[in-house]
Amino acid sequence: MASTERVRSPIRLVLLAGFGGLLALLAFAGLDTLEVVREIEHDNNAIRQEFLDRNRTLNEIRGSLYLSGTYLRDYLLDPDAGQAESHKATLERTRATMDAALAAYGGRVRGTERAPFEKLQHDLAEYWSTLSPALTWTPEERRARGDAFLRTEVYPRRASMLAVADQIADVNERQLNAGDRRLADLFNAFRRRVRFTVLATMAVGLVLAAVSMSHTLRLEREAHARFVEIEHARQELRDLSARLVETQEIERRAISRELHDEVGQTLSAIIVELSNFSAALPETAGSALRGHVETVKKLVENTMGVVRNMALLLRPSMLDDIGLVPALRWQAREVSRRTGIRVDIATGPLPDELPDEHKTCIYRVVQEALHNCARHADAHVCRITLSHDNGELLLAVQDDGKGFDRAEERGLGLLGIQERAERLHGRFEVNSVPGKGTLLTVALPLPVAEHQIA
Amino acid sequence: MNKPVRILLADDHTVIRQGLRLLLEREPSFDVVGEAADGRQAVSLAEQLRPDVIVLDLAMPNLNGIEAARQIAARVPSTAIVVLSMHADESYLLQALKAGARAYLLKDSADSDLIAAVRAVSDGKGFFSPAISRLLADDYVRQLQERGAHDSYELLTSREREILQLLAEGKSNKDVATLLNLSPYTVETHRANIMQKLNLHSAPEIVLYAVRKGMIS
Repeated sequence: MASTERVRSPIRLVLLAGFGGLLALLAFAGLDTLEVVREIEHDNNAIRQEFLDRNRTLNEIRGSLYLSGTYLRDYLLDPDAGQAESHKATLERTRATMDAALAAYGGRVRGTERAPFEKLQHDLAEYWSTLSPALTWTPEERRARGDAFLRTEVYPRRASMLAVADQIADVNERQLNAGDRRLADLFNAFRRRVRFTVLATMAVGLVLAAVSMSHTLRLEREAHARFVEIEHARQELRDLSARLVETQEIERRAISRELHDEVGQTLSAIIVELSNFSAALPETAGSALRGHVETVKKLVENTMGVVRNMALLLRPSMLDDIGLVPALRWQAREVSRRTGIRVDIATGPLPDELPDEHKTCIYRVVQEALHNCARHADAHVCRITLSHDNGELLLAVQDDGKGFDRAEERGLGLLGIQERAERLHGRFEVNSVPGKGTLLTVALPLPVAEHQIA
Repeated sequence: MNKPVRILLADDHTVIRQGLRLLLEREPSFDVVGEAADGRQAVSLAEQLRPDVIVLDLAMPNLNGIEAARQIAARVPSTAIVVLSMHADESYLLQALKAGARAYLLKDSADSDLIAAVRAVSDGKGFFSPAISRLLADDYVRQLQERGAHDSYELLTSREREILQLLAEGKSNKDVATLLNLSPYTVETHRANIMQKLNLHSAPEIVLYAVRKGMIS
């Protein structure tokens, strides 16, 4: 036991660790998935938002740039001085808008954008500084130089700056793509990790299944081996108890015979000799002496009675000398005499010769049953039926006693009766209902030769 | 004086045999003509000596007393058999009667009953130890009481009781017919009626019944 305990505990640890690991792995995979999905979703949104924001700012810059050209043209070419001032104010606002957008974009610039952005900034500054003298021009100057200024200075610069802005938009676009690729990488890494986790889980699961399986099988084998062992021990116990009963029977028979044949005969001889002694006494012998001889004779006679009873109680000689039925009848009479219970015996035709162990079995079963009748059942009548049918000896003992509940009564020698019957491959049944008496039946199959004779 | 009764003693215990011989020889009319130490010897000596009475122990080696009695009854029918037994039980008594015994004695009372028994059987009567008669009678009465049944003896007519008594004493139908001045056929009819009324099936059972009833001893 101790050794298997020692063998079992590390396996228990291994299984515990294995299942723990497996669960941890599954939990990790689940949490990881949730985390990664959330991250991807977040990143994706951020990247899109960033792209849109930049694009909008850039478009604002571009739009403002474009509009600045238009407002400048209106300012320079509008003949109405009032209108021209209004155009100038619009131009100033546009510049303010553009500066704000530029500043906003400037905060977001990174990587490859920096060079084109700085160029844009520089060009824009130059653009505005080129533009600023024109804003101080008189209306005449504006009329005289405006058109030429626009064509030679403003439009070309504006076109080149729009190209720069396009470049930046390009970079921005590329950054969006880069973001997408990053997401794809993230996703791929996640996929690899999931694949690994699944494979690892399966591998651990397989190993665990194999270990638990072999462990279970080993336990099963052990349990079976133990079952066989117990069954074996039980059989040995049955054999032993049968041998015990057998030996007891042999002993009883031997002692009974010895008492009967040796002690009994010797006592008879003593009685006969005493009689002869008494006859040989001279006429003159006193009555006291004769009285002593009579007393001795009485004592020997009593002793003989005791010896005979002992021998019969051990094993009635009729069982071996005359047969089962006379032995049963003797027992019935004895029980009747001792207890006042009326014992009826009914027998059908029986085989002439019954095997010794069958006779003994039936006799002892009846003895036990009558004993129960007298001791526990409080019965008045006990009916014993012995018959022979279909190669079986059938015994029934029915009493009108108080009965008992089989579930509660383990004693009463019923186990002994059962063992005796089973030893001869027989069946044993007890039907008892409290208050309704007890019926005890035994069926013993006879060896083939015996019932063929019958 | 009559011819002495010739007796053969059969018992495996020498001491008992000698004791019994001494006992019997105290009777002037008894003559112990032989001793046998086992059943087989008893049969061959009985055949050889043809005694009037054989006193036979029930438990003997080499052919037990019952079997010896059966063979002697068959081969030397003129020899009356007195069985000595340790067993105060009706099954042994019935078996002895079936084997042909005329008297059944318990060994513990052999000293006081043996002479009476030998005398009874040599006169053609039966004899049973008072102890066993008492035992059987007690059992019989108790059984009747237990069952609350009436003794079926009450069913017999006085002529039937008379015939039962004679049959139980060992008389044959012919003897009974002569004694009562009846035809053997009438006796046979009475006998059949008696057996039917008492639920008996054989001559030994008639004797056993009579012993139980205390009609003979």
